[in-house]
Amino acid sequence: MTVEEVSHPVFLFWRIFGLNALVLGAATALLLWAPVTVSVPVLLTEAVVLLSGLAVMLIANAALLRIGLAPLSRLSRLMTTVDLLQPGRRLPVPGRGGLTGLISTFNAMLDRLETERADASARVLSAQEAERRRIARELHDEVGQSLTAVLLSLRRLADRTSEPLHADLLDAQEVTRESLEEVRRLARRLRPGVLEDLGLGSALTSLSTEISAHTGLAVTRRFRPGLPALDPETELVLYRVAQEGLTNVARHAEAVHAELELHLSADAVVLRVTDDGHGIGTAREGAGIRGMRERALLVGGRLEVGPRPGGGTLLSLTIPLLREGSRPT
Amino acid sequence: MTAMPTTRILLADDHALVRRGVRLILNGEPGFEVAAEAGDGAEAVALARAHHPIDLAVLDVAMPRLTGLQAARELSRLQPGLRILMLSMHDNEQYFFQSLKAGACGYVLKSAADRDLIEACHAAMRGESFVYPDAVATLVREYLDRVRQGREVPDTVLTAREEEVLKLIAEGHSSKEIAETLAISVKTVQRHRANLLDKLGLHDRLALTRYAIRAGLIEP
Repeated sequence: MTVEEVSHPVFLFWRIFGLNALVLGAATALLLWAPVTVSVPVLLTEAVVLLSGLAVMLIANAALLRIGLAPLSRLSRLMTTVDLLQPGRRLPVPGRGGLTGLISTFNAMLDRLETERADASARVLSAQEAERRRIARELHDEVGQSLTAVLLSLRRLADRTSEPLHADLLDAQEVTRESLEEVRRLARRLRPGVLEDLGLGSALTSLSTEISAHTGLAVTRRFRPGLPALDPETELVLYRVAQEGLTNVARHAEAVHAELELHLSADAVVLRVTDDGHGIGTAREGAGIRGMRERALLVGGRLEVGPRPGGGTLLSLTIPLLREGSRPT
Repeated sequence: MTAMPTTRILLADDHALVRRGVRLILNGEPGFEVAAEAGDGAEAVALARAHHPIDLAVLDVAMPRLTGLQAARELSRLQPGLRILMLSMHDNEQYFFQSLKAGACGYVLKSAADRDLIEACHAAMRGESFVYPDAVATLVREYLDRVRQGREVPDTVLTAREEEVLKLIAEGHSSKEIAETLAISVKTVQRHRANLLDKLGLHDRLALTRYAIRAGLIEP
């Protein structure tokens, strides 16, 4: 590795030097063997010949350098467009020539960056999910249950009290109920409890009915009952991507109808969210889609977003199941 | 009403304070008596075996060891005539449908327990379902979708008022909101809701479960 790294500038140097030497050598040979003389002072015709010779030399040099350095401009093009969230783009390494080392080092650097990026976001996301889970559980199990106990006590008190206290107690009951509902909403936003308790099928069904209820978007579910349990991490990614996807449709697509599909084959699970809205057009990828890509990478999945044939948008997430991830129900 | 025999209740919740609150409320209602209390699902199943006869089980959905859903499944297998009510923090109709599937006939949200619990217990003992309101909205919305797509033929005629209520329920409005919109009382809305479910053939646990399966809301 170190030898290669040290050798790049040298290789590049000899490449450019060689090209220049070739052009200058050709010019010198021409001067030596061609029947040309230069008078002093220079004649107009001679000057024209010399200048055209120079022009030819420069053009030849430029062309050769261009060919010689083409891999470099490919490299810089890749550098400006590379996206760590869409991994796997690499430059072909030429068999020989001065840039082999540079390109393979660059590819190796991309490998390293992609791995590090994926590791870092995996750590961040899983820490975030764990924290959310902990807070949700505490809200649910501690605050929620205490408020329930208070609510029931208030009810009993209200039953045994007459006016004017009775009305006050009823008010207190309503306030407690609202707080309890707020706590529950918070917990639910933090963590999809239904996914853990009832599984992916129920969670996706509940997600689609919830979105329909809140936004009026009609969501058709297409997944077969009896989904086998996948590993919890994969299920969470599928759920979060479905959630983000459907929320995006409801928020931005101006769609009437959306479809949520989940297919499971022997080696991959595919989630698709399609809609009949106005499509994403040339809009830049927003934080939502980048977040989904990041989550997809966590489980080695691939996210694609594009126009749906016949209008609208198609979002698909493919997660390979090669790992020892799936367990039988 | 003739003097009814006391309904013996098995109560299971892992939170002692909540259990105490529920017990006091149930014991305060004539005709109800909490006969056994459990702190988790496994204990509930063991107690049901030991304390015969139990008429009604009130189970928290989320409990350690055996969850409420698992306990309900076990209990309805052990004692097929047992009425089961689920008590839950989760405002999500999937828990309701899963509870029905597990053999429960009602689902009461903890945030509405002070209001609904007694009513749900009475409904359960009458052999009716206590349908969780959001689930009604989902069922009704599915029903309307199916009618619109021609997959379901309405075989009963709804009154104009019932049609209005049906639409508002499907849009996810609460009874209170519907009452305000239509300038009628909450009680009347609830009566309309019950009538609607009757007319749609969704009056009991089995019918509701079958319908939810048909609509693809739960797995068979």
